Amino acid sequence: MSDVDFAPPAQSTPPAAEPARRSLGSRIVSVGPLPAALLLLVLVGTATTSGFATVDNIRAILTAASITGIVAVCMTFLTLSGNFVSLGVQQNTVLAAILFLSLTAAGAPLVLAVGGPLVVLVVIAVVQGVVVARGMNTVITTLAVGAILFGAMSSVTGGQVITTGGRSVGVLGQSLLFGVPVVVYGLVVVTAVAWLIATRTSLGRRCLLLGASRPTAVLSGVSITRTTVFAFVVLAVGATIAGVLTAAQLGQATANDLSTLTIDVVAAVLVGGTAMAGGSGSPVRSAAGALLIALLNNLMVLNGFTTGWRLAVQGALVVVVVLAVQRFSRAAR
Amino acid sequence: MTRLAVSLHRYGVQVAILLVVLVVLTTTSTQFRGPSAAFSTLEGFGLLGIVALGVAVTMIAGELDLSAASMTTLGSVVAVRASDLGLVPAILAAVAVCLLIGLVHGLVIARTGINSLVLTIGSLVLLQGVAWVASGEGPIVVTNYAVSDQVLLRWWILSPSSVIALVVFAGVGVFLAKTRNGREIYAIGGGRKESLAAGVPLARPLTTAFAISGACAGLAGALAAMRSGSATPDAFETLLLTGVAAALIGGIALSGGSGTVLNVAIGVAVLSLITAGFSAQGAATYVVQLWTGVVLIATIAIRLVLDLVRTTRTKTGDTT
Repeated sequence: MSDVDFAPPAQSTPPAAEPARRSLGSRIVSVGPLPAALLLLVLVGTATTSGFATVDNIRAILTAASITGIVAVCMTFLTLSGNFVSLGVQQNTVLAAILFLSLTAAGAPLVLAVGGPLVVLVVIAVVQGVVVARGMNTVITTLAVGAILFGAMSSVTGGQVITTGGRSVGVLGQSLLFGVPVVVYGLVVVTAVAWLIATRTSLGRRCLLLGASRPTAVLSGVSITRTTVFAFVVLAVGATIAGVLTAAQLGQATANDLSTLTIDVVAAVLVGGTAMAGGSGSPVRSAAGALLIALLNNLMVLNGFTTGWRLAVQGALVVVVVLAVQRFSRAAR
Repeated sequence: MTRLAVSLHRYGVQVAILLVVLVVLTTTSTQFRGPSAAFSTLEGFGLLGIVALGVAVTMIAGELDLSAASMTTLGSVVAVRASDLGLVPAILAAVAVCLLIGLVHGLVIARTGINSLVLTIGSLVLLQGVAWVASGEGPIVVTNYAVSDQVLLRWWILSPSSVIALVVFAGVGVFLAKTRNGREIYAIGGGRKESLAAGVPLARPLTTAFAISGACAGLAGALAAMRSGSATPDAFETLLLTGVAAALIGGIALSGGSGTVLNVAIGVAVLSLITAGFSAQGAATYVVQLWTGVVLIATIAIRLVLDLVRTTRTKTGDTT
């Protein structure tokens, strides 16, 4: 699997010296369970649940996984850099959706309708990044900014539904392209780019180093401010893409939309196995985590699980995974 | 530093913010005056105050309990479910359930060394689910209103829930300042490595802090449920922000080891004033949320600036 881990790559270390360092448990935890769990869920679903393995249902799962996945993939950099998670992603994403719809309704060309929200979200991200780099807790800062954004959006829209005003948004508004939901292309492209950034660029590697060991990172000349701002900006880009796609697909938005997005995104990143303390994980894992959550939710809905049971199972899954990651990542050190 | 200087350093900025909010609200709104304003502000202590107090104790221990809002919801559901047993047993049941969950949080964090944010973000979702299931997936009401009516008394500007809140604040304050276990909570928050080296056991203060946080959330939820005679599984969604915000605005540091219950009380007073003031003007809840966020960010900004000033002064050798 395409994990980024700060441990040296396996092939470059002499096998004789290594086995004691990475226990079997840590290896299983680092690669095995995620694809295995996905496969298991698909098999169980196909065998036990009628209506699971149909084209329509698979499209529904992929669509559900995509919006969560796009944001989760982009939030991975924040988590990797040791800055935990943002609890304001829902409000940021909805802000992008509302701005996109308003600009479209006002007759702006597509470039401007997408560029406008992008600029706004990036500015908000830079401010948050600077504050967090100065030592403020990410969770609190993003929660506060989220509350301000929600209050501002509700005040401006007055709780009204924002629409495109009947204008077309082109290919973004189509539900399917070559038989695959449009949002899925979004997820695939975002994941691929994020993976390249995480593994092939110095900014991506700096996020990882900052999360793995802050003192080492600072000594090696990594700027905490610049790297944290970068992580927030990547998240802003993800939230913009997710917001624009949601808005284009539905053609409308309100300030209260996507109410479970924040929890789903955090769950996807954590279930994917990116360590919340930073330093290990991968955007690809978060995409897989989003798929796992979407699959699980779909199976539970089809089997008549109520809201409460779905939340409880999702929460229990997160707790179990973070405890396992904690246990085996500690054992590996 | 003299005693006065210490108090000024601890409470100066916070009291200033409180006064500004008080002046702005009373001058802009003619309805927000007198005993009724004081009453509705103090009512805020019954829910927000007790929750913020619990969260603040985990912050003093250098951790953060993000599950407090979910725990409050669960507490309210448990209290309504147990309300047939009478008022006191219903409240005690809610406190006991949430205290137990808090104990488990503390034990798991102490044993595994897991970051408390990571664990409690998972249990935040899990406990939300449990509250939904326990309430039968929807709002529930107290069947015997004679039980819940006992909470609706009013003595001038006080009510049973605000009196309980003040007693809890005093109790936790004495516990933190005067008992060995309370001092240990400060010790592991202020300098974990140093206090471990000095022989402070990590598990005891950690479990105590999270048990207090759980018990407080349960109590707040139970009181809220008894006041309204009902519980809703998706209630208190904004309580996570306001609870943590109250502690931070009051001057509890997330880095741990500093702050007193007086700090929490000031922070709660600021947010209660905002909530009560805007409700008196008939504003929507999102307006309150908006201003909570603004005041929180402003507090953070003021602190950052003050810290910068202080470090530059130290660097230039000016020690006044």
